[in-house]
Amino acid sequence: MDRRTFLKGSAAIGLAAPQIARPAVAQGAKVLRFVPQANLANFDPIWGTQYVVRNAGTLVWDLLYGVDAQLKPQRQMVESEEVSGDHLTWTFRLRPGLKFHDGEPVLSKDVVASLTRWMARDPLGLMIRAIQDDLAAVDDRTFRWRLKKPFPKLLYALGKTNAPMALIMPERIAKTDPFTQITEYVGSGPMTFVRNEWVPGARAVFQKFADYKPRDEPNSWLAGGKRILVDRVEWVIMPDAATASAALQNGEVDWWENPISDLVPLLRKNANLNVDIADPLGNVGSFRMNHLYPPFDNPKIRQAVLTAMSQEDYMRAIVGDDDSLWKKLPGFFTPGTPLFSDAGGAQVGKGDIKLGQKLLKEAGYKGEPVVCVVAQDQPITKAQGDITADLLKQMGFNVDFVATDWGTTGTRRASKAPPNQGGWNMFHTWHAGADCINPAGYPAVRASGDKAWFGWPNVPPVEAAIAEWFDAADPAAEKAAIDKVNAAACEGVVYVPTGFFLGYQAWRKNVSGIVKGPIPFTWGVSKA
Amino acid sequence: MLGYIGRRILATIPVMAVVGLFVFSLLYFAPGDPAAIIAGDQATPDDVARIRASLGLDRPFLVRFGEWSWQILHGDLGTSIFTNLPVTTMIGQRVQPTVSLMLVTLVLAIVVAVPLGVVAAWKAGSLIDRLVMGLAVLGFSVPVFVVGYVLAYVFALELGWLPVQGYTPIEQGLWPWFSNLILPAVTLGLVYIALIARVTRATMLDVLSQDYVRTARAKGLGQGPVLFIHALKNAAVPIVTVIGIGIALLIGGAVVTETVFAIPGLGRLTVDAILRRDYPVIQGVVLLFSFVYVLVNLAIDLFYTLLDPRIRY
Repeated sequence: MDRRTFLKGSAAIGLAAPQIARPAVAQGAKVLRFVPQANLANFDPIWGTQYVVRNAGTLVWDLLYGVDAQLKPQRQMVESEEVSGDHLTWTFRLRPGLKFHDGEPVLSKDVVASLTRWMARDPLGLMIRAIQDDLAAVDDRTFRWRLKKPFPKLLYALGKTNAPMALIMPERIAKTDPFTQITEYVGSGPMTFVRNEWVPGARAVFQKFADYKPRDEPNSWLAGGKRILVDRVEWVIMPDAATASAALQNGEVDWWENPISDLVPLLRKNANLNVDIADPLGNVGSFRMNHLYPPFDNPKIRQAVLTAMSQEDYMRAIVGDDDSLWKKLPGFFTPGTPLFSDAGGAQVGKGDIKLGQKLLKEAGYKGEPVVCVVAQDQPITKAQGDITADLLKQMGFNVDFVATDWGTTGTRRASKAPPNQGGWNMFHTWHAGADCINPAGYPAVRASGDKAWFGWPNVPPVEAAIAEWFDAADPAAEKAAIDKVNAAACEGVVYVPTGFFLGYQAWRKNVSGIVKGPIPFTWGVSKA
Repeated sequence: MLGYIGRRILATIPVMAVVGLFVFSLLYFAPGDPAAIIAGDQATPDDVARIRASLGLDRPFLVRFGEWSWQILHGDLGTSIFTNLPVTTMIGQRVQPTVSLMLVTLVLAIVVAVPLGVVAAWKAGSLIDRLVMGLAVLGFSVPVFVVGYVLAYVFALELGWLPVQGYTPIEQGLWPWFSNLILPAVTLGLVYIALIARVTRATMLDVLSQDYVRTARAKGLGQGPVLFIHALKNAAVPIVTVIGIGIALLIGGAVVTETVFAIPGLGRLTVDAILRRDYPVIQGVVLLFSFVYVLVNLAIDLFYTLLDPRIRY
């Protein structure tokens, strides 16, 4: 072959470009372009419990109950419920006319299968399953739940915002093993998932479901009429904050779920944009110590750290100089919610290094290395990790700072091995404030030793007080129990709360109806 | 030559096998657990273990490697742990944006860099030469993401001429497709332009001192034909080699460029997969990149026959 032959051969080669499915959108259709907090990498809200999956899940699947802005569960798919005098038997009746996206009616058997799958994965669901006598369909619209002991938080469990939520799927899908991902996305909610336009890491598309029957009440968070006022919602995944900011300013997207605080002044200067707090329930920053190994198996050393740390330092590292975005948190529960407590929290985050050093000395710290695992790819964990490393060094700890990514942290924190054999002494994270309003969906505050969250705190008074809360029949009893939980968790230093902080959301002024809440609620949002 | 091509293609098989084993081993021994990421914060260790088992991640190295190799031999790159989509589908969704970006970048770089290098060599030592070389140094020195942000700010936000982000498939119109690629291609192409311009200048300087160039000038040929027909053609082999090597640069640079301009390409797919420990996707993309690189090298070798008739395989 010579160059002429090569030329002839190469001329025949064409570029076969595979196509991304992107059907033309009907002219005049209202499309809301939304930048979510993260990539929708999977779409099974029971199998995967990431917030972004939950948020998308609420568009596609409906709930039996939904909490409103007052944190009270309200009927959603349920028309009525009856509870027996001994509070052991609940009988629920579904609203008429509920349909799945494939046109099939929503029946009791679908609900039973969905709740069964949910209970296998949800901490509250597991508690219910442990006391469940029977869950069965009575007829197409009625199902009955019989318990071995009363569970006053049942309706809250069915309507809570924490993942995994008790979303209702068709029976054939809900029968999938809870530890295996579903492959069909037939929903019961106000929007359908356009699977053939889903490009994980780039975009996800939802279309208004014409046969969805919203409730008559005004919408309030997960409760009330979920009226979709646009034809189509496109989630545009943007891993880079500066790009999302530019796209919003340029009108290429309409709504950005979580602009970083550094960019907010820039967005505020743009006359076409609104910027406001995203979720009034905010977030709770935290670092956890491993209670299994020295030095943090010693409660006095944990208390020394709790006293020496300054929440202000942590909060400024996370949100910058905007004082309206953070507040000190003398405990473990979300400020501004009914069960918030500061009982026993006087010493939390005082920032008294000298006292901390004194307590550390008294506690008999022997210079053991502190393996401090810090995910560098998450701005919140990185900021907290830097502050902690400095704090520990000032206190006199021997710090082994492990800079890694969130994926590795997620694995390493689950290891109960000694810190010098692949385990850890400390890692950083944060919790959505919506998860910290009570102990129901808040595993981080549990202190049941081996069964507790990472760090495996074993503080029996905390567990006893949480049990009191679960059994509490009225708000006063609940509050009394939570005061005990907070005081005991501070005393035993279940974990170290680094403060309460808020985040922003931003949207273009031609978009209206956006509310503050723990989930970016799309119902009620319209676009001019 | 057909025999040569056949041998080269056959030689890709052991290369791909070694790459496959290397990548699989690296991921197997690297820290991180997709099951823990999937299970989320609420999960118990038992939950994580059950998810790991359902994904087959608890099986021994040899079993998993054997199964994966068997799939590859059947043309199946596996299924994403997270999305439950076939890896081939996910790659298929991302190929067009990346190929488009690389092609536009390549064309832009060659069209700009080669004439710049030729002119710099022709005017060696002059102000033009220093200017071109200064720009080349700048192109090497400024990080891709800085260039990207500056271009987006000026041409999208301030002037409103071009979109900030995204990708429009070519089927939806040539201009929408091209307008989404201009800023990313300039951003990604800057380093490439600098590289090609420098190599072109150096090679041309060598060629321009050859006797046949003096002869061409003595025959009365103008500067254009001397530079672009006689000299450039003889300087082309090293330039083409650098262009080929530079495709690896483009693949690496595409990761950053696709992130800055939110282009749903293979670069972003790779980074997302690495951060999530989505092993089948990482393995599939790395194998694809290796295969493309081997093919590009083969194409470059064959292209030499166009430039220099003395070369035969």
